Amino acid sequence: MSDSPVSIHTPGQSSENQEATAQQQKQMEQAYAQMKRKMAMEEISRNIKHKIMVLSGKGGVGKSTVSTGLALSLAQQGFKVGILDIDITGPNVPKMMGLDGKQLQVENKRILPAEGHLGVKVISMAFLLESEDTPVVWRGPIKLGAIQQFIGDVDWGELDYLIIDFPPGTSDEPLTVAQSLPNIDGMVIVTTPQQVALLDSRKSISFSQSLKVPVIGIVENMSGYTIQGKTTPGSDVEIFGPAGKMFKATSNDEGMFSVTLDIFKEGGGKSTAEEFGVPFLGALPFDPGFVRGGDDGVHRIVSDPDGASSKAFAKVVQAIQEHLQSGDQQGLEII
Amino acid sequence: MEDLPTMIRLERKKTKMIVTYDSDESFKISYDDLRHACPCAKCSPMRNEDDTSMELRREIEKLRPEKPSVKTVGNYALSFEWTKGCSSGIYRFERIWDLAHGRDPDRGKPYVHGAW
Repeated sequence: MSDSPVSIHTPGQSSENQEATAQQQKQMEQAYAQMKRKMAMEEISRNIKHKIMVLSGKGGVGKSTVSTGLALSLAQQGFKVGILDIDITGPNVPKMMGLDGKQLQVENKRILPAEGHLGVKVISMAFLLESEDTPVVWRGPIKLGAIQQFIGDVDWGELDYLIIDFPPGTSDEPLTVAQSLPNIDGMVIVTTPQQVALLDSRKSISFSQSLKVPVIGIVENMSGYTIQGKTTPGSDVEIFGPAGKMFKATSNDEGMFSVTLDIFKEGGGKSTAEEFGVPFLGALPFDPGFVRGGDDGVHRIVSDPDGASSKAFAKVVQAIQEHLQSGDQQGLEII
Repeated sequence: MEDLPTMIRLERKKTKMIVTYDSDESFKISYDDLRHACPCAKCSPMRNEDDTSMELRREIEKLRPEKPSVKTVGNYALSFEWTKGCSSGIYRFERIWDLAHGRDPDRGKPYVHGAW
């Protein structure tokens, strides 16, 4: 029995007419459900102070790592944070948040998010799959419905930040979210320094203009790999990095030295940001600890909260917060 | 980088806009100059060479004069939407300041990253 208040009473009609009214009833119920969901989305939007989309033009740049890192870094500062993993066909946020195999609970017809490290609330398609090997093969309209359900039917409670992690590329998902969820603050674009990733990031920036969602800025992931060593104090060290490029360092009084190797390239994210006139939020180091942490379900920020990667994330988060606090150009009169 | 005054008013006229800053300075920027300086990845490479830059200019001058709709982008830029021609560029306030002073907003730097 439907809980819709919509009903049509037309006594004395023929069976053909009754069929027509049944169809009308169904359409009205659908419209009512849609309206209820829209109202729920507006309420959710009011309860969540900041909504940030995380995108990349290309796969494999560490987008989910960055999304979870941003969420945890914000949670470290004491904010209430949620992550919405919109990557329907390849959801991996739960694994990174130590929530592998977790089931979602439903209360009063609302989905309750799972709670991961540092109290971060997580919603992901992964929670609905029978096993992690189960593929999700959905066409556009079904995907769209699932995304709207993930937004409208989830009881997030009050949040300071909602981080929305998308699949790579400029497909339906960001468009659906941008159209469904009001007042999105903007998007963070994740890239790596190599040319092919930067080309795709430029597409993401242009895509943001189509969505009418501002770009908060660009984050360059896998920016450099730092190696450390020990030798005679005060001695010069030469290390050959990728493509035979030589890196020099001088050891300190204790004989310690460190060199950062640019595995891919240097400064690509920054130059793309300058080219498109969007802020550069910072660079995150190449850290094998993220791979181990992702596999073990203990995020690097949780296992090494004072490490170089955690500090780099904190800087990116600070840049995002400064951007959000500055808001729009106040007081500009356009006539 | 020089410290910019804050833009407080943008008045759209038929063929140009007048921008006023909190330093009590006002400048006129023609829409043709503004559109020719579009920072998007499609227009920017056209300014690399004199002949393609002229071609871009001629294409812009052929368009019917119109007032754009103007929106702020965060706290750092403006976007201009035209009914015809390119509306993709996000103009940082520094770029508009350069245009207001008749300076090359590309600072003589060619567009090096062909995106598409």
